[in-house]
Amino acid sequence: MKITWLGCLSCCAVLGLTFSCPVVAQVGAAGAAGQTASAWVAQVKVSRGIVRIERGGQRFPSPVGARLKVEDTVITEANGSVGLMFADNSTLSMGPDGEVFLKTFNYDPTTYMGAFDAFVKQGTVSLQAGNLAQGAPDSVKIRTPQAEVKGNARQFLVSVEEKK
Amino acid sequence: MTISTRRLFVFLAATLVLALLSACSGPREYFSVIPDRDGTTGQMVVTPRQGTALTLDRTNASATVRGGEISPAKLSEAELKEMYKEAFDAQPMAPARFLLYFVEGGDILTTESQRELENVLAEIKKRPAPDLIVVGHTDRVGSVADNDRLALRRAEKVRSQLVTQGFSPESISASGRGEREPLVATADEVAEARNRRVEILVR
Repeated sequence: MKITWLGCLSCCAVLGLTFSCPVVAQVGAAGAAGQTASAWVAQVKVSRGIVRIERGGQRFPSPVGARLKVEDTVITEANGSVGLMFADNSTLSMGPDGEVFLKTFNYDPTTYMGAFDAFVKQGTVSLQAGNLAQGAPDSVKIRTPQAEVKGNARQFLVSVEEKK
Repeated sequence: MTISTRRLFVFLAATLVLALLSACSGPREYFSVIPDRDGTTGQMVVTPRQGTALTLDRTNASATVRGGEISPAKLSEAELKEMYKEAFDAQPMAPARFLLYFVEGGDILTTESQRELENVLAEIKKRPAPDLIVVGHTDRVGSVADNDRLALRRAEKVRSQLVTQGFSPESISASGRGEREPLVATADEVAEARNRRVEILVR
C-alpha cells in the first residue's frame, strides 16, 4: 500500500518533470524566434464544439478564422475538434479532450527553412507536413509527455491518453 | 549492520517495484504514420524517454509508449480511422492552387492570367475563413539575388491587385521563391515563360 502510494508519487514527479521541460525550454525559443514570436503563424480553419486558445494565462474562444501565435495552447473540450493551417501549409487537426502547445514556429517562405515544434499533452492529433519538411528533414518535431517524434513523414498521427 | 543491510534490501526492492510500476502503468501514447494523397509515407522516428528510437516508415506503421518504454504496435487502417475520426474530420481543406504568368522581365500579367484572377475570387468565396499566399517565381535568366527580388515584386504586384479588389490585406501574404522551384527544369540563363509565374494558394 505504502509502496503503491510512493509509486504514484514518483510517476507524478516524472510526468511533472516532462511537462515542465517544454515550458522551461520555451523561454530560449522565444528569444531565438525573434519577430515570429509576435507574428501570426496559423489560422483556425475548422472549429467544432468548444475550442479554446490559451495565451499569456488567458483563455479565448477559438472560432473559424481565429489566428494563432507561437506559445499559444489549443484546447478542445469533450465535444470539440479543431483544424489549423500553418504559414508553411502544414495542417494540424485535433479531436476531443485535446491540448497542444505551439512551442516553436519559424518559417522562411523563400528558402523553406525553419522549425516546427509542438507539444501534445493529450488528445488525438493528425499533423500533415508542409513546406518546412521539404526545407530540412528534421525541422518538424512533436513532443509528448513520454516521447519525441521527428522525421520527414507526410502525415503523423499521435494520440496521448489523458493522465488519470 | 543487520539493520542497515535490511534497509538497503527494502530500498532496492522498492526501487524495483517502482520501476515495474512505471513500466506497466500510466497513460499510453500511440504513434502512427500514414501516406499523403500521393501515397508517399516518409519516415517517422519516435524516441521514447527510455530506450532506443523506433522508425516507422511503412503505411500505418505504429508504435506505443507506456511508462516511457516503446514497443511496436499493430493498428489497421480501420482502427486508425476510428481512433482519429474527429481529428480527420477537422482537417482543413487542401489549399487550391492557381498559376498566373508574366510577360518576360517584369511584373505585368499576361492577358490570359489577368482573367484567371476571376477564378481565384470564385474560390475565395467558397471558403469559410480564406487566407491567401502569393508566391512569385522566375526563370533562370539573371542572378539568384536579382531573381529573389523580381519574384517578390511579382508576388507583391498580384497581392496589391487582390487588395484593390477588396480582399483584406492582413489575410494575404506575398513571398518570392526566386528561381529555386522551376516548373520546367532548364540550364542557367535560359528564358522560360512557364517559370515566370506567380502561384496563388487559396487556403
